[in-house]
Amino acid sequence: MRSLNLHLKVLITLLVGLGILITAYQIFILGIPLTEDETDDLWNIDARVEFQASPREPVKLQMFVPPLNQDYVSLNESFISNNYGVSINRADGNRKVTWSARRASGKQTLYYRLVLTKRYSGEQTKSEGPIFRDSIPVEGAEKIAAEALLAPIRQHSADVETFISETIKRVNNVNDDNVKLLLAGDASTPNKADAIELLLSIAHVPMERVHTIRLAADVQQSPELWLRSFNGEKWLYFNPETGQQGLPTDRLIWWIGDDNLIKLEGGKQAQVSFTLSNSEMNAIRLAKLTDENTDADFLEYSMYGLPLSTQQTFQIMLVIPIGVLVILILRNLGGLQTLGTFTPVLIALAFRETQLGFGIILFTIITALGLSLRSYLEHLKLQMLPRLSVVLTFVVVLIAAISLLSHKLGLERGLSVALFPMVILTMTIERLSITWEERGGGHAFKVAIGTLVAATLSHLLMSVPQLVYFVFTFPAILMILVGFMLAMGRYRGYRLTELFRFKAFLKD
Amino acid sequence: MLGLWKTWKALEAKGIMGINRRNADYVLKYNKRNLYPIVDDKIITKERAIAAGIDVPEMYGVIETEKGIDKLRDIIGDRPDFVVKPAQGAGGDGILVIADRFEDRYRTVSGKIISHEEIEHQISSILTGLYSLGGHRDRALIEYRVTPDPIFKSISYEGVPDIRIIVLKGYPVMAMLRLPTRQSGGKANLHQGAIGVGVDLATGVTLRGTWLNNKISKHPDTTNSVDGVQLPNWDGFMKLAAGCYELCGLGYIGVDMVLDQEKGPLILELNARPGLNIQIANDCGLTHRTHAVEARLAELAKKGITETPEERVRFAQELFGHVPKAEI
Repeated sequence: MRSLNLHLKVLITLLVGLGILITAYQIFILGIPLTEDETDDLWNIDARVEFQASPREPVKLQMFVPPLNQDYVSLNESFISNNYGVSINRADGNRKVTWSARRASGKQTLYYRLVLTKRYSGEQTKSEGPIFRDSIPVEGAEKIAAEALLAPIRQHSADVETFISETIKRVNNVNDDNVKLLLAGDASTPNKADAIELLLSIAHVPMERVHTIRLAADVQQSPELWLRSFNGEKWLYFNPETGQQGLPTDRLIWWIGDDNLIKLEGGKQAQVSFTLSNSEMNAIRLAKLTDENTDADFLEYSMYGLPLSTQQTFQIMLVIPIGVLVILILRNLGGLQTLGTFTPVLIALAFRETQLGFGIILFTIITALGLSLRSYLEHLKLQMLPRLSVVLTFVVVLIAAISLLSHKLGLERGLSVALFPMVILTMTIERLSITWEERGGGHAFKVAIGTLVAATLSHLLMSVPQLVYFVFTFPAILMILVGFMLAMGRYRGYRLTELFRFKAFLKD
Repeated sequence: MLGLWKTWKALEAKGIMGINRRNADYVLKYNKRNLYPIVDDKIITKERAIAAGIDVPEMYGVIETEKGIDKLRDIIGDRPDFVVKPAQGAGGDGILVIADRFEDRYRTVSGKIISHEEIEHQISSILTGLYSLGGHRDRALIEYRVTPDPIFKSISYEGVPDIRIIVLKGYPVMAMLRLPTRQSGGKANLHQGAIGVGVDLATGVTLRGTWLNNKISKHPDTTNSVDGVQLPNWDGFMKLAAGCYELCGLGYIGVDMVLDQEKGPLILELNARPGLNIQIANDCGLTHRTHAVEARLAELAKKGITETPEERVRFAQELFGHVPKAEI
């Protein structure tokens, strides 16, 4: 007995532990949303390229597109173009699309569309970058200006990070004569970036240009220039205008480097405009989409991998253990008397088809009428099978009559009775009448009420949408249920009703 | 909530056994499933008992097929009274008790006159499984009619009172006298309204009783006191009950016995899931007693001894008997 107990304890611990572990893995590592209502932002980015094609000349247009190795996951990417060949190639951490056509004339419009989301990205790869560079050669006045600027920067900085931000601050101080000389009257951001690069190169600090798009809906924008530098551990991002450090979370890196966004051969007046829009999407649907578009197969082996119609069946099936658990608790802890063990669960399932209120009324009427028929049949002393057949036929006729009646009365509910509840009703009537004969009418009534209560409770619990979603998404939770059921199997305490039944002991 | 918790603790302190404990610690632990047919089928029980030399009401005959019904007259012979029972019936359904013959007809205990054909129809119904649990085909059993000892006249209403003793591994742990009432329709089942009266295991003197989960001391129909009655031949009952362990092999059973006017204690049937109301009848919990028996068994197992039914009865009587009289 003791070894059996140990065995059981180990088994329960194992099941519960495994269940919790798997569920936690799904929630925390895979990031599967806890409820169905969770939504995520979905960004729709359109880049529209327009240019004037030169007649009788092959056209070749190259444009950078996001490298997609960051926090964002692309769900869909499309290149929309008439009779242009499209090819994509990667170089130096950038991605470049090349549209090409042998012949084109007039105004040309090409689209690039990207749908992406921030969730469910794979793990970050360890970043690497240069930490040393050669100086850009400068001479004369510019050299002196640069050195004049660098002296206080060196003084005011402690490391690469502060050095860069200090440099940016100095360059943005346009009243400084040295800065004026370096910028040569052009205070645009790219020119500032050139000046910053020059200063940093003298100090052998490498720097890269980063072109970003802001994820903001309905705003006209063009790629924004940021600077970044590798400090040996990670990339540091700087705004060349303000010296602000750190890339805001709503920025998407489009390309890196000194090149222009597009390079056009065989055309002119190339223009790119960006349009962004965002929509919210159901998190679990998003997860499914992400799953299809990345190589993270975390939903492949879950219930979502099944065909849709099968999924619906399983959504019902997987909550049945919860209904059973309700019956188990009501019977073994509460002491509620029900008809058979699982009849209440079956009735609860039947309630799915008929709705609760109507189901209870239907159940009561048909059972009452069926019982009276059964008690009449009792006088005829029939054998079990013929008797059951008669009751079943009677139930069918009764359901048909009720359906017809309620249809004529305009209650469409009556038609909701499916095949499934019929057999359950027949069995209920049969068992109830046996109980009636063996234990008396009062007991039968008590049992019938108990069955209805248990069925109603488990139906209510089984139709909580959050619960259905949870069990369906995290089926490992059933292992925890089994653990609990196993523990209940060795429960020896009193049932709630026994506390009242044995009250006579406490009267002295 | 707090009140319920207090009730719980108080019941636990008194050693009251609940259904969950009975099922987990006794029925599931000591009663092997494959032995159930021995107690579920009254004919098998009887055959086993006869083979073991345990007293049961004499079996006149068994009818197994429709064809066998023709033998009914041979089986009855010219006996004036007999009982027809389904072998696997439950709750006393389908039992026909013939008290006397009248001309060529029969008179039941309730005074109804029935013909031979009606008895044959009853047997046919039994064979088709009308009274058996689950509607399986059944066998009909024709046996000796028990005449209750006149001692019960004053505290019983119709029917046959019976004595139930709970036996754990051959050790009687608690006993109860079950008295039919008007409400129970002459049946001795507690949930049908019969009275349960506790019995002192050592002396066979009745204690107070239980009726519908309440404690009582008088019979509701006869208004006579049910306590303080000395049951005759008590040691015989105890020995009979203790011997049932060897008979069926089930470790936790309720043994139902009757006291016949002429033949003394007889075993009626065995029950593999005896009810818990016996505790109210005795005003005593089962758990302390079963634990004492289990401790004794462990002790004996260490020494490698097994006790005879007589020794087991003596142990139980010494330990559980001589209940101090309840103060009223």
